[in-house]
Amino acid sequence: MHIPDNYLSPSTCAVMGAAMIPVWVMAVKKVKENVPKERIPLLGVGAAFSFLLMMFNVPIPGGTTAHAVGAALLAILLGPWPACISVTIALLIQALLFGDGGILAFGANCFNMAFVAPFVGYFIYKFIKERVKSGKGEYIGIIAGSYIGINMAALCAAIEFGIQPLLFKNAAGLPLYSPYPLSVSVPAMMVSHLAIAGVVEVIFTVAIYAFIKRVSPGMIYEGAKQKIKPIYAAIVALIILSPLGLLAAGTAWGEWGADEIKNVISGGKSLGFIPEGMKNGFNFNALFPDYAIKGVPDIVGYILSALAGAAILIIIFKIVSALKKGKPAKIQA
Amino acid sequence: MTEKDIPQWLLENENYIPKSDKDTFINKSILSLLSLLSHIQRQSRHKTDLFGINAAFSVIFTILFIILLSVSRSMVFVITANIYLLLVLCLLKAEDIITILKTSFGVAVFTFIILLPTALYGNFYSITMITPKVFASVTAVNILSRSTRWNSITGALKTFFIPDIFILVLDITIMYITMLGEFSLNMLYALKLRSVGRNKNKRNSLSGIAGTMFIKSKEMAEETYAAMECRGFTGDYRIYRKFKFSFADAIYIIVNAVIIFCFIYFGGYLRK
Amino acid sequence: MIEITNVSYSYSNISALNNISLSISKGESVTLMGPNGSGKSTLLKLINGIITPDSGSYRFDGEEITKKKLRDSKFSKLFHQKIGFVFQNSQTQLFCPEVYDEIAFGPRQMGVSESEIDKRVNDCLDLLNIQALKYRQPYHLSEGEKRKVAIACVLSLNPEVLVLDEPLNGLDPRTQRWLVEFLINFNKGGKTLVTSTHNLEFLQEISNRAVLFDENHHIAADMEMNRILEDIDLLKKVNLIDEYYHKHVGSKHKHFHMHNY
Repeated sequence: MHIPDNYLSPSTCAVMGAAMIPVWVMAVKKVKENVPKERIPLLGVGAAFSFLLMMFNVPIPGGTTAHAVGAALLAILLGPWPACISVTIALLIQALLFGDGGILAFGANCFNMAFVAPFVGYFIYKFIKERVKSGKGEYIGIIAGSYIGINMAALCAAIEFGIQPLLFKNAAGLPLYSPYPLSVSVPAMMVSHLAIAGVVEVIFTVAIYAFIKRVSPGMIYEGAKQKIKPIYAAIVALIILSPLGLLAAGTAWGEWGADEIKNVISGGKSLGFIPEGMKNGFNFNALFPDYAIKGVPDIVGYILSALAGAAILIIIFKIVSALKKGKPAKIQA
Repeated sequence: MTEKDIPQWLLENENYIPKSDKDTFINKSILSLLSLLSHIQRQSRHKTDLFGINAAFSVIFTILFIILLSVSRSMVFVITANIYLLLVLCLLKAEDIITILKTSFGVAVFTFIILLPTALYGNFYSITMITPKVFASVTAVNILSRSTRWNSITGALKTFFIPDIFILVLDITIMYITMLGEFSLNMLYALKLRSVGRNKNKRNSLSGIAGTMFIKSKEMAEETYAAMECRGFTGDYRIYRKFKFSFADAIYIIVNAVIIFCFIYFGGYLRK
Repeated sequence: MIEITNVSYSYSNISALNNISLSISKGESVTLMGPNGSGKSTLLKLINGIITPDSGSYRFDGEEITKKKLRDSKFSKLFHQKIGFVFQNSQTQLFCPEVYDEIAFGPRQMGVSESEIDKRVNDCLDLLNIQALKYRQPYHLSEGEKRKVAIACVLSLNPEVLVLDEPLNGLDPRTQRWLVEFLINFNKGGKTLVTSTHNLEFLQEISNRAVLFDENHHIAADMEMNRILEDIDLLKKVNLIDEYYHKHVGSKHKHFHMHNY
């Protein structure tokens, strides 16, 4: 669910980042107010935990991976605002220290995994726990909270991916960033998260929570009793159900025949790019559009090639000599 | 205590023939943890930042570089950016070059495969533009992360007005990742050694490991906090990062100015 | 300097300290002795203000130390500057990314100028002979190195009292010897030293007064080090030694070194 760079337009990234800023500000404020100083290092523990959990991932079509996040677990154990900070930091370390990508997309990733996942998970957990008065209520809440939490986050990611080809096209009508529309991104993300990542998340959350409850119950966060009116429950239910409608719309798109595609072009809909490419065929312009090569003098091209050649030679030389140094040692051993 | 107190089976040899069991998950987890830990350890060996460039600059310009790449619609710029990165790579040590390129190629190939379906539908733009962009972005970030002390990177973040509490938790997190990583590694080894036969309860053992990890770290966190208080910590995390402008900084700024110029020039923004 | 009067403390209904009274003057070197679980560590935490007594009082430098007082930043900082604590588990004490930061952490929180901090850090590194570790990540150091860094980061605060919880545990012989010499010299320089241990080897060298805890979390004895080490029955009673313990009395032995203090 971790969105890499260059799949979202910079404007999308900027919008998501801007959306996160008030969330972070609020989180810092809440943590400073409510978390006793002794528990602050726990945020680091949570972040480390989430980071390690996210390391175990499975690639899925669409350009990203499916993995557990532990956001709901952290929200249940530490509280939603501390969980937000912990997951944010885990993502920050992933982006900067491990360079897999996700620097520009940081805002979007945080929105999905550090905001949607923990808060949705926490409130569903609380809601069910307070209504189902038995030992089971707690666990049902945890299962529902963690499962729905991570899947909502995956859905948000899928939407962020899917609207790219809709909104960001170049002059030829080709998508500039992620080329897969909602009809592809939503099913790809949702199926892998509903079926695999979500299940893993639930299993881990429940198991770890149970263990901690048994061994050291004092550490679990006791949030204030939330008075959630039924209307909010209805709104939440609607929000959860609406993606199903989107899914249905998506599959509807996939069923359109070739004739209908032509009509779709003028509406600027997501499927517009396919016929364009097919129309022009294997034209050089279609292959490498927008190079703006025309205005660039030849000498620039020569200089660039020379630099590239030199750089590549040096790199190869360095690598080969490093590998050679390694070899004699191997033979001896 | 005498020999008679020791049960007979302990004094005899065990005749055990193990059945095969799927513990590849454990092996995979062990491997990924090991590479994670060695990555962090390698990071801590740097004594100074690359070429003596101030971390604040390298962080800002790396982010700027990635933004320019992302926005750019000019293939020439993308190619130029990659050549620039290759030149920078020349200056690094061979082992760093290998590890950086491994990640970049890995991610680029993955991207290429992901985008293949759209190419088959006739959209070549995505695959030819996004793949090199991804390669360049990942290379740029990896150069940053492998050549700069983590310390310096977090210090640079402070100049972005990130609240102290984030930096505090960041520093603690790195330590905990190492610690928890090693702890879970040891437990995985223990689990592997104890997995003498078929173990259907591996999942339970794993969550037991994870749960123990969490509790242990909570206890450590409390002691850590006590230690911080004993050294005068009362809630404001005061960190100090040196800021000295050097010759290397000046050159780095000039190089980046050239890159920005290339972006504008190749992007056709200068032409009316 | 340290006045503990009728202090009792328990961890969720399990008693850890049982009506303890103890008084330590400036410049003394005192060792708390006792088997594991007898309350030594708890008392040390109390002395450092990490916990406050359930009953009884603790006065440091004439001031009573209470939770309320410690909530005041200024008071807390001043108190913690005067008394430095080296934990039993060196690792939990080290949380900064680099050794340099670790040692600088205390003075930085105190607001000392950065140039002064640089001097102090380098002096501490030299004193403990760990200059080579300056930029290393504390987590990857050996046990002995961690212990030295932990001591360094407490020293940089320039405390008047140094409290160490089981400082010799887990160290190799050479480092142990180094630490013993260091503590002796530190104490001779006029600073107060409070250590705890269940290891009888080096006690006589480090301090001349021993406070013995028993398994009921009481103080069983508080007297000169030599006298306690001779009272074998007492040591056996509190479970510090087993039935086979004995000293080689009267046998001739050679010193292979010179004491240069």
